[in-house]
Amino acid sequence: MARSRREEQIPHGPLHLILVVATLVTMYPVLWVITIAFSGKQSLAIADLPPDPSFFDRLRAVIPWPQHWSFSNFVSVMTDQPFGRWLLNSIIVAALTTLVGVFLSCTAAYAFSRFKFPGRRLGMMSFLVSQMFPGTLMLIPLYIIIVQVLGLGSTKIGLVIVYATTSIPFSVWMLKGYFDTIPKELEEAALIEGASAGQIFWRIVLPLAKPAVAITALFSFMSSWNEFILAATFMDKEDMYTAPVGLRFFVGGFSQQWGYFAAGSIIVSIPVVFLFLYLQKYLVSGLTAGSVKG
Amino acid sequence: MARPAHVRFAVGVLLAGALGSGLSFKFTREAVRHETADVERRQAVVKLGGLTALVGRAGGDGDALRKAVAAWQAQEKDVAQVRVLVMAGLRLEASTAAADAGDRAAPRRLQREEKPFYDRGQRLATAVRTNREEETARKLEIEVAPAATGRRLSLAAPVEADGDIVGMVEIETTELPPEPAEPILPYILAVVAPLAVFGAGALFLGRRRWPLAALAVACVGGSLVWLLTTGTAHVEAARLGTAQRVADEVKAQAGLLASLSAPTSTPAPPAAPAVPSTWDADAYRRPLGLLTADGAVDKQKLAEVGRASDRALRRSLLSADGLALILLLFVGLGGANRLGRTLRRNRQAYLYIAPAMIGMLILVFFPFFYGITLSFTDSNLYNTNQPLSEIWVGLRNYSDILGDFSIVKQGEGGSVVNYLNFYWTLGFTIVWTVTNVTIGVTSGLILALILNTKALALRPMYRVLLILPWAMPNYITALIWKGMFHRQFGVINHVLQMFGIPALSWFDHPFTSYLTALATNGWLSFPFMMVVSLGALQSIPADIYEAARVDGANRWQAFKAITLPSLRPALVPAVIISVVWTFNMFNIIYLVTAGEPGGATEILVTQAYKFAFERYRYGYAAAYSTVIFAILLIYGFIQNRVSKATEA
Amino acid sequence: MDRDARRRSFLFLLVACALGASSAAAGELVVWHSYRAEERAAIEKVVAAYNKDHPGTTVTTLAVPFDAIADKISAAVPRGKGPDIFIYAQDRLGGWIEAGNTIEPIDFFLDDATKARYLPTTMAAMTYRGQTWGLPLNYKVITLIYNKKLVKAPPKDTAELVKLCKSLTDKASGRFGLAYAYTDYYYHAALQNGFGGGVFAGGAKPQLNSKENLAALELLLRWQDKDQFLPTEPSVALITALFNEGKAAMVFSGPWFLGEIAKEVDWGLAPLPNLVEAGGKPIRPWMTVEGVFISAQSKNKDVAYDFAKYLTDLPSAKIMALDGRQSPANKAVYDDAKVAADPVLKAFKQQVDVAVPMPNLPEMTMVWGPATTMMNAVTKHGATPKAGLDTAQAAVANAISQLKKKK
Repeated sequence: MARSRREEQIPHGPLHLILVVATLVTMYPVLWVITIAFSGKQSLAIADLPPDPSFFDRLRAVIPWPQHWSFSNFVSVMTDQPFGRWLLNSIIVAALTTLVGVFLSCTAAYAFSRFKFPGRRLGMMSFLVSQMFPGTLMLIPLYIIIVQVLGLGSTKIGLVIVYATTSIPFSVWMLKGYFDTIPKELEEAALIEGASAGQIFWRIVLPLAKPAVAITALFSFMSSWNEFILAATFMDKEDMYTAPVGLRFFVGGFSQQWGYFAAGSIIVSIPVVFLFLYLQKYLVSGLTAGSVKG
Repeated sequence: MARPAHVRFAVGVLLAGALGSGLSFKFTREAVRHETADVERRQAVVKLGGLTALVGRAGGDGDALRKAVAAWQAQEKDVAQVRVLVMAGLRLEASTAAADAGDRAAPRRLQREEKPFYDRGQRLATAVRTNREEETARKLEIEVAPAATGRRLSLAAPVEADGDIVGMVEIETTELPPEPAEPILPYILAVVAPLAVFGAGALFLGRRRWPLAALAVACVGGSLVWLLTTGTAHVEAARLGTAQRVADEVKAQAGLLASLSAPTSTPAPPAAPAVPSTWDADAYRRPLGLLTADGAVDKQKLAEVGRASDRALRRSLLSADGLALILLLFVGLGGANRLGRTLRRNRQAYLYIAPAMIGMLILVFFPFFYGITLSFTDSNLYNTNQPLSEIWVGLRNYSDILGDFSIVKQGEGGSVVNYLNFYWTLGFTIVWTVTNVTIGVTSGLILALILNTKALALRPMYRVLLILPWAMPNYITALIWKGMFHRQFGVINHVLQMFGIPALSWFDHPFTSYLTALATNGWLSFPFMMVVSLGALQSIPADIYEAARVDGANRWQAFKAITLPSLRPALVPAVIISVVWTFNMFNIIYLVTAGEPGGATEILVTQAYKFAFERYRYGYAAAYSTVIFAILLIYGFIQNRVSKATEA
Repeated sequence: MDRDARRRSFLFLLVACALGASSAAAGELVVWHSYRAEERAAIEKVVAAYNKDHPGTTVTTLAVPFDAIADKISAAVPRGKGPDIFIYAQDRLGGWIEAGNTIEPIDFFLDDATKARYLPTTMAAMTYRGQTWGLPLNYKVITLIYNKKLVKAPPKDTAELVKLCKSLTDKASGRFGLAYAYTDYYYHAALQNGFGGGVFAGGAKPQLNSKENLAALELLLRWQDKDQFLPTEPSVALITALFNEGKAAMVFSGPWFLGEIAKEVDWGLAPLPNLVEAGGKPIRPWMTVEGVFISAQSKNKDVAYDFAKYLTDLPSAKIMALDGRQSPANKAVYDDAKVAADPVLKAFKQQVDVAVPMPNLPEMTMVWGPATTMMNAVTKHGATPKAGLDTAQAAVANAISQLKKKK
């Protein structure tokens, strides 16, 4: 009871003010994307100013709102190309990436957190080090490994391996940090009661680390979701493309259809929003924390 | 279950002997074969040189040419066939090949399947023209390749007339003798003998560790040194005959040509004065200079060249020997045993880590070591097909990058900053990284703290809206941000003008240009930090706050004493990682500022990209990347030391 | 070198086998392109027609986003993967040739009759160091686009242009006689070429600071500062907006601009005016030529060449022009009644007759950066034309010499 009284002491008004301002700043460019998507036009610049614009002319120009609302861009994106198919490919690849990435990083992070063994620091460092070499020059080496050596060109597995590998280092560090905060006494107690190492990991540690696992999952998902160049390079069949590849057809080269691209971007963002809506229950205050010390 | 020292050392002697001997065998055999191939190549090139001179003298086409070629072929037993191409009209002008008889006899137009033959001629012609135009030697003017079948060489050289390339001469040698076999017996002996000697010696030494080590090293070292001397002797022997055989070949060709002197209807064209000693040439038709003008062996030159290649061989043999001795000591002194024990004892931990680590090793570290190797070469667009050893430049790329301190240049009208200098870019990259991470972490953390407030209305909605920058493809949002800073259309300038402030040309000044990228990247990166912080906040047990309150701590004290330390385990990795990412944040710089003005807002990674893909200097770009890597590595170690992030 | 040579002879073997085995059976061809919408529909129509005419050969296409196709080719083809044929503009040609194992030279296949089918300049764009590497498919070039309501007769030369522009410009109300992306080196090159200048003088020797290039830059500055009929900071978005609102009477731009023009604008096309300042010589814009290239790794080069020839032949060119809205490199197509009646195709054909192929040397990528910096500095008066050009020249020359530095 005392706790809730304390929470009530924080005035919510200023907090809402900060949040509203932050949300507005965050949403402003997004609103432009929406405006372009629904404008039915293809140009990035929508503003239309008379000579010697007045204050209100300028105000009109900075408010993202299309002159005419039109769904034509969305319709074209979905019907011009097999975009639905590509979206499905993206979802499959991202889901597999998340699964593989989270699983591998959970096991590795658990070992780093719970076992003392030679090479532990080196191992942790090497995960970090792997992020340090600039990735822009990696396209051809990755092509050689995935397509030439492993023969995984035009397969989803090839992409999943690359994406999962890029997401693992951060995930391992994040999860290891979180595992460290989970008291060992819980596991020791379970060990005395005769639980196996696997049981301890799955039944005790993982449920307590849900917030971190949720973040890792979201991160793994995102590291594959918007990636374009590798997907376009590895896939030699059109029905294997992912959504970001499909989107890039609209821009680049001499003519650029930003309206289509914006509409596609919004479509592509929707699954992420749903994923986050699902995952955010693990990020809500006080779910697991109390039980740790229990 | 540690084994006694003498057994360990015996195993060590065996393994090291096998490794050292095996590698020595491989290197020596390769060197001998290289020498053999060299003499074969040079002899054939001399023949080709003689023939090319003959073809040139015969005028490059017509019956006279065919007669001359036939006569030459009749005298030249080591050449299986000669084919002469005339580029104009795709003609096979002369041929002594068995297949070119009957209705396929020269002269005739080339047939469709003979495209590679024609393309070879074109390639040589282009090579000669390119080298002349650029006054360099970067394209092969003589092609030597294994023939389609058997152990034969196929060689081709361009034919010139009136200063331009009109055709090609191609010869194929007869079957060459099989590659010399390096006798294997000494190498087996070099494994067995030290083992025997060590075994005998160990009987006297018992189990004393250091004397055993000394004996083992002496045994293995002795046998390897013996292999080194015999090996280099073999190679020298192989080289010895080379020069003389080439010189003989030159004489033979000169004689052959003289004997074939056709009824001198046309004098030899002045374009190709036949100096036989110049026929001993490299692939760019530059005389090797190992023969004097009268065709004798230039002993001094030869010795110089020989010394250089001996040094290379000795170096690789010595490094193989060093490797073997390290292995010996590792096994002998118990390192291998300990390693095995450690692996067994921590089997579970290693098993847990292995899958992630293997993926990492394959996908990250292989390209990474390739990149580091490349950084020691001058690899660029014009020499990608050469072996790395030929374009090795050591540390030159690094000294070029790090040794250039001309940050301020004297231009007309005073001094200007040289934005392309490494240290300017480095400084900018550091400022960029520090400010971005600070902004990202602070705003992410503050928002997470607010969103973690209990019973705050509309929390789920705020949360979802606030992660949108992360969810959207940043290709479009980054360009929207760029558009917002446009001089005439950008909303930022509209807002400024609404309040009477004159519009700014954001991308014309380094600082304002930097602000545009900073705003964009801050906007893109805070949601990630916010989500990480939200997750980390869940690890703090709520009753700790309660306890703190009871102790009379105010909210700020509680934040400092409880929240921040509890966030550390999750936040420190996130900060380290985002420093690394921001340091290498290619997209935003590339899309938003594109380095404007004049490269002032490039970061190191965009600079490396430009060196690789705009200036085609792959080696230099790799060195640039390695420097980036080294900087981040140092940062990683310092940060790790300070925050003890790897500690539990 | 040894390895390279061995690879080459291996290739020879492969080709020999493939040709020996398949000259009768033909085979399968894969074509990579970066088209979408109507261009894609057009090329698929041509492919379908080819497949119908050639039983035994199956041509399939793969569309790759423009932003990825060049990297994809560079990654895949030298490693023996990838298509038999790919379509790309000539600007990457030199780089691919120098890197090797990517594009197959086609001089051997190319007979004089075929060579004569194409506009000579498009053929020149496919030529690198004396060898031909592809068949030209289409070209893009900038020309004069004008608002018919504001401009009754498009100017024939720059004297008329200046006079007309001055009468149409009213800076106070944001009206301009002419708008084009003049700070963009690609557009500015048209003036340079008109004066007889250019980026390279024979081979890869840069000559950015030649006196012709200086004259071109000075003319631009005169238009900008003295005659003042150009808008400042001419971004593509600005130019589109100005033209669509009737505030820019004329624009220099290419076919990509036509799709951006608002419905209510009545527009026409005309050749770029002649340069009075250069003795009446025409302004010569750069042309970008898309070529059909055969992969050096193709196992079906004979058939691939046959398809490339088909794709650039008259019936296909007609489809690519009328359905795909491309300007074909095939000459004869412009005699076709339907094509001749098309004002857009006709106008670009007229312009291309004086156009210059953009250099296909790999060194060209080293020019863009310094040239862009130079254009920005000079038009914003950060440097005199002479100093700006000298600086750019030094930067480019330095970059090129670094590449050729011997060890």
